[in-house]
Amino acid sequence: MVFSSGISFSSFVWLINFFWFYDSAFKQPPFDEQNTIRKYVIMSGIGTLFWIIALTTWIIIFQTNRIAWGEFGDELSFIIPLGSK
Amino acid sequence: MIKIKLILLNIVILVNTVYCDRTKDKIYENISGHMCFRRLNATHQTGCSSAGKSRGSVGVLHLISSEDDINFIINDPPSPPYAPIILPNHFTRENIIKLRDSNYVSAIVLVNDTSDLDNFSQESKCPNQFFRHAKQPVCDSKNQNTVWNPFGTGLLHENFDIPIIFLAKKEESDKVIKCYNDFNKASSRKSLCSIEINSFMAASGNSEICIRRSRSLAIIRQLTFCDPLQGKNVYGTLYPREIVNPINRTNDIDEKFIIVSAHFDTTSMFDGIALGAMEFSSVATLISSAHFLKKIIKKDKKSKYNILFMLFNGESYDYIGSQRFIYDLKKNDSFPSPSSYTRPLTLDNIVMMIDIGALDDFDSVSIYHLNESESFASKFTSAINSYNNKLKLNVNINAVNSNNLPPVSAQMFLRENPNFPTLIFASKKPKNKFYHSVYDDVKNMKFSYYNTSEDFDQLDDSTKITHFPSDSIQIKIRNVATLISLGLYNLLNEDNKYAENLIASSTLVDEFLYCYLKATKCRLFDSIFVFSNDFNGLDYPPQRYVSVQAAITLEATGWAYRVLGFVLSQKIENIQKENCTVLPYYWIPGSLKTGECRLTTQNLSYALSPAFEEEGYNYKSNLYSTWTESTWNDLSARIFLQPSTAHESLTFIIGLIMLILSFILVYFINSKAEILFNDINTEHVALPAQC
Repeated sequence: MVFSSGISFSSFVWLINFFWFYDSAFKQPPFDEQNTIRKYVIMSGIGTLFWIIALTTWIIIFQTNRIAWGEFGDELSFIIPLGSK
Repeated sequence: MIKIKLILLNIVILVNTVYCDRTKDKIYENISGHMCFRRLNATHQTGCSSAGKSRGSVGVLHLISSEDDINFIINDPPSPPYAPIILPNHFTRENIIKLRDSNYVSAIVLVNDTSDLDNFSQESKCPNQFFRHAKQPVCDSKNQNTVWNPFGTGLLHENFDIPIIFLAKKEESDKVIKCYNDFNKASSRKSLCSIEINSFMAASGNSEICIRRSRSLAIIRQLTFCDPLQGKNVYGTLYPREIVNPINRTNDIDEKFIIVSAHFDTTSMFDGIALGAMEFSSVATLISSAHFLKKIIKKDKKSKYNILFMLFNGESYDYIGSQRFIYDLKKNDSFPSPSSYTRPLTLDNIVMMIDIGALDDFDSVSIYHLNESESFASKFTSAINSYNNKLKLNVNINAVNSNNLPPVSAQMFLRENPNFPTLIFASKKPKNKFYHSVYDDVKNMKFSYYNTSEDFDQLDDSTKITHFPSDSIQIKIRNVATLISLGLYNLLNEDNKYAENLIASSTLVDEFLYCYLKATKCRLFDSIFVFSNDFNGLDYPPQRYVSVQAAITLEATGWAYRVLGFVLSQKIENIQKENCTVLPYYWIPGSLKTGECRLTTQNLSYALSPAFEEEGYNYKSNLYSTWTESTWNDLSARIFLQPSTAHESLTFIIGLIMLILSFILVYFINSKAEILFNDINTEHVALPAQC
């Protein structure tokens, strides 16, 4: 259920999911639903990693090119720093 | 015992509340000065801004008394970054650009010291060079003989990423120089006196960028990065015009005007200090001329021409006021505005323009005449020459027929219509050595106030002597103004020549110059305006920099409105104060303070560049002025002692050692806790009794 709520692109929920259930999935002795939990924890981990990479790439591109993009760059920005071009 | 302790405690608290002081007040000394700030146009940013981080730019003070000191700073100095203290005679283009471009300078402090100062102008050698009429030869800044501001350094149009502060008051510059002498002069590397200047500017790049950002963000929050330079033009007509209903007013093509204009504003590199005294003589000439002409025309007879006296605002920044005026005339229904209850005017209503340009030097006045129309210009000039001789005014006039015009508002009219009949008054050679700088003051203009108690509303008699010596600026302005008015008189009355001996009032010039260059608490303003509540003016002159106010009218413009209104108004007898309340009727105390009702003709018009009114204006087109001023939070400066690098390292190392020692100590105490804290009685908590 936690994973499904994370389906709606909430990568932070996946991150919490990963760390919260890590112990139950991998550290504890095996019990009945451990495989399902293990599957969800791994998927959460992969999802978080994907989002980290995607966001980092976009942030780097945007910050280095915002000024060069002129008017388009300004339209994408919510906060334009004072005193910078 | 306890009572004594309480009493002692109370005394200590009391003493502390009386004598306590914030530590920061003991460290910093505030310095007040005038900041160089940022202005932008379509392609560039000019002016200064401090660093965006923390509270501003910090630099070690260093007094520049010769070229060696500048070389010391730019060649690997010992304790960068520096804030050199410069005297105006070293504030040359070469020195300042060198300092700006070196990596070791983070701020510049300019002190107020005019010894050895021959000239000081930061305006470019070719003012408003990109806005000129089609036949104007390109102004070459390398050719000293052809430039219009030969003393200019052009620093007003350079971009500085460091702050520059001007310390006008002697106490402030004394504080700074004393701090330098006490601490920095000795070469030992102890504490160094430094200055921190905060003048961070929000806008950056150029006007197009900052205006676009200001407009798009205005919906989300009230943040503007820059504001367009704008003000109001002041105008008045010689004869009152017909009063019409604004709803379906129409233009009357037979209403013909001669425009007499002058530029009203001035500027300088620093915020809040720009007197522009020598520049102001053109305005004084226009006011004196309007006053004289109104007195000598026949009240009952109407001429086929009316005269429109205009004071254009914002001309220092690519002719904002005159461009807007022409733009409004071309729209056919914008000037005058409907709320003036008069008919609108178009360019076809104007038959000639007489533009009073920079009269730096009254010893030789040139009249540029272009595009003679109905032989106006030659009639005007020959009239002037004959009256000059007849009334013995001794003004040295020479007529010039050339396309190389000084930077005056007429350039915009000629750009619009190259065949526009134009007459321009200007001094033969530019003589203002302090043009557009903080030193264009009354000393530069050689103005001294004579404070006569004559009635300024009375005209002078050319056969009688006045209080003023013949070489005083009051007489020089009066004489040129007289000639302009008499030339106009001949154009208005084709059959009559002026036969009297009365000429313009020199007392009016004296009072007018005092009000604008010394203090608004003055006799002239007191006579043309009903002050309220014991307030009758301030002890300092009004600011004539065009600035950015949209909603309010600046004090200087308001006074120009009242003075131009007064000189062009007609006294109406037998109307009481209660019946003289609706414009164009206006009640004033009058020069004799008896109170009189006047029929006025003056008004204000917008002086905002059309670039900011038109949707989607192309900033690359160079059609209209695009000057804007950046917004800022606050402008401040303070000096303090910076410890030397050795001292700072010592403090840091001591701190680091303390940190490591404390870790070791805590670990040691923690491991031996049982031995150290053995004898504490742990049984002070009583267990609940068994029930």
